[in-house]
Amino acid sequence: MIVGGGSAGWLAAGVIAADHQIPRVPGLEVTLVESPAVSPIGVGEGTWPSMRDTLRRIGVSETDFIRECDAAFKQGSRFAGWTDGGGEHYYHPFSLPQGYGEANLVMPWLREHAAVPYAELVSFQPQLCERGRAPKQVTTPEYAAVANYAYHLDAGKFGPFLQRHCTARLGVRHIVDHVTRIESSDNGDIAAVVTAGHGRVEGDLYVDCTGFSSLLLGQHYGVPLISVQPQLFNDSALAVQVPYAAADAPIASHTISTACEAGWIWDIGLQTRRGVGHVYSSAHMSDTEAERILRDYVTAGTDAKTAAALSPRKLSFRPGYRQTLWQRNCVAVGLAAGFVEPLEASALALVEFSAAMISDQLPATRALMDTVAARFNDAFRYRWERAIDFLKLHYLLSRRSDSPYWREHRASAAVQSRLAELLELWRYQSPSRYDFHRIEEIFPSASYQYVLYGMGFRPEARALPEPVQNAALAQRYFDEAATLCRSMLAALPTNRALLNHLQSYRLQRV
Amino acid sequence: MARHVPLNNIEHKSLRIVTTRSAAYGDDQMFALTVPAEFRSVQSCYPIVFQKRSDTGQFQPLALFGFQPGENLFLTEAGWDATYVPISVERLPFLIGGPGVAQAGQPAQPMIHIDLDNPRVSSTEGEAVFLEYGGSSPFLERISSMLGSLHEGLAATTAFVDALQGLDLLESFVLDVGHKDGSSSRLAGFYTVNEERVRALDGAAVSKLQAQGFLEPMYMVVASTVHFRDLIERRNRRS
Repeated sequence: MIVGGGSAGWLAAGVIAADHQIPRVPGLEVTLVESPAVSPIGVGEGTWPSMRDTLRRIGVSETDFIRECDAAFKQGSRFAGWTDGGGEHYYHPFSLPQGYGEANLVMPWLREHAAVPYAELVSFQPQLCERGRAPKQVTTPEYAAVANYAYHLDAGKFGPFLQRHCTARLGVRHIVDHVTRIESSDNGDIAAVVTAGHGRVEGDLYVDCTGFSSLLLGQHYGVPLISVQPQLFNDSALAVQVPYAAADAPIASHTISTACEAGWIWDIGLQTRRGVGHVYSSAHMSDTEAERILRDYVTAGTDAKTAAALSPRKLSFRPGYRQTLWQRNCVAVGLAAGFVEPLEASALALVEFSAAMISDQLPATRALMDTVAARFNDAFRYRWERAIDFLKLHYLLSRRSDSPYWREHRASAAVQSRLAELLELWRYQSPSRYDFHRIEEIFPSASYQYVLYGMGFRPEARALPEPVQNAALAQRYFDEAATLCRSMLAALPTNRALLNHLQSYRLQRV
Repeated sequence: MARHVPLNNIEHKSLRIVTTRSAAYGDDQMFALTVPAEFRSVQSCYPIVFQKRSDTGQFQPLALFGFQPGENLFLTEAGWDATYVPISVERLPFLIGGPGVAQAGQPAQPMIHIDLDNPRVSSTEGEAVFLEYGGSSPFLERISSMLGSLHEGLAATTAFVDALQGLDLLESFVLDVGHKDGSSSRLAGFYTVNEERVRALDGAAVSKLQAQGFLEPMYMVVASTVHFRDLIERRNRRS
């Protein structure tokens, strides 16, 4: 029983229904109840490459998804002004460095190529982004990549798209009705959700996808939110939709994240428009000032007339996650579980991880549910903590001191101890699998390397271990990245050209 | 290279077309486009495989003649050594051009075009295109009907390929062939129908394919793969 029908609800419904072959194999039913009046929040337009696996798992066609969700390809993020607040930038691409795990790339980089940004030496992908290339060709099959990629999508279209697939193809029962009351069993489990028009609707497991209201886990069970505002200050956002200047304007194949005085601006290229938003700390900046900064940014990218016509939509949130994610027979997914600022687009990735684990570990009996719940809570507390560590890293490494916001971010009271320990460790070694040893880490050690070295963090020169053959091996991988880059630039269409092509032609399944 | 013009019986009145099959006339092709309507004839001589067009990414079925670009193992001193030649080869140097010009009350009609730079175009030898007083020759009538089949076949191909893909029947393959002369060729970038999945189709899927008219061409593709052996033997006889 899934309560709530945004991206989280329909992703969870889709994964569970597809994995368990509903309705072909009897024994399990998936019902989704959603209120007719609640409009989805529509944040989280960036995704991780895991979304390709999730969509394939659900059984949707990539071509349909791209056409119907205004989706575009995303190959990573470009961070501007985060380090010094000037014109500097660095890339966090989705492709791992060439030879990652095979050679120590960091020491040879610093010794021989220190003038080249780390990501641009070890990966072909930043150049593909700079040149506005698509991550694949017209002949590349659905979900296959030439260069690792995810999507930018219109969250307002994504939910309805998944809904159509779930109800028409996956046998998910859809009830559009208000939930008026939650009914409890004697043992404290949820017995039913009571709706205005359909009466009691019963389930064995309730998945709370009710967004910020967290109707079941937060309101019914009273599970408190662990606030992460002491570490991540941002609690407000202003979002606008910006039209392209021309029908053939380039579409960036990466998220552009620009640091500001008390927050940062996201800039996401969809097919038909850009999604731009300013996320900031209300304790450090007024809405009026935040809006002015957003308008200035949009004006620089388009023109004053377009920027003046925009009316920003305000969002407020309490950054944090629920202390327990799975309580008795209720598990929360998406905003109902928690939310932090959209830096690094972890929101939908966490939804995918949650849906996958619920589906993979779906308890066969009520007695087993407590065991599964304990595992789930352990796994997701860990994931939330790591996501917050990784986001905080971006602030911790900044050298900006142009506002109290940036200085306070680096104050020791605002830094989680595990992250401080890791940073100390990374003065003498590179982030590696020893630091992130779980099977499905939300952010792999390579991501930490891209951010660390992209933001100017430099290890002590003497300490990193380096075997005899390493220098030559690393150089081979640097050359490999450069060669791949040249051949890909010659073969890949622009992001815009491929997206236009997909309006007329389908990607093949094989 | 190519000079495509609409065919007309005034300017092209005395045009003749050489029908001899040889490399000099551009027959040294590794493969040629085919359409489901002629699969039955094509599979009697050649393997039918699929390839993605590099411009659209869409699958097109091909009759395979050799293992590498420029190699047509059916082309001999005496001409084309097979009982059937695919219509996409037979119809050259003619093609369907543009939508034509819409007349009052009538939609645009596909029109026959000719590539005047094709080496088959002659004024002295070969088959006459037009009769003495401007009527179409039997040769042109035959070409015209082939072009019609090809044109319709291209539309049918899309639906056929979609049906195969909908059932996950297409798969890529790589064929490494060691030849008697010690050389070897690798055939890559082509796709075929997975026979095991065809055999595993349930009744509903089979009857849907039958209703769409795709069951026969699908089996023709499966049957055509026996000609890989023939292709290898032809290659070995050559070296």
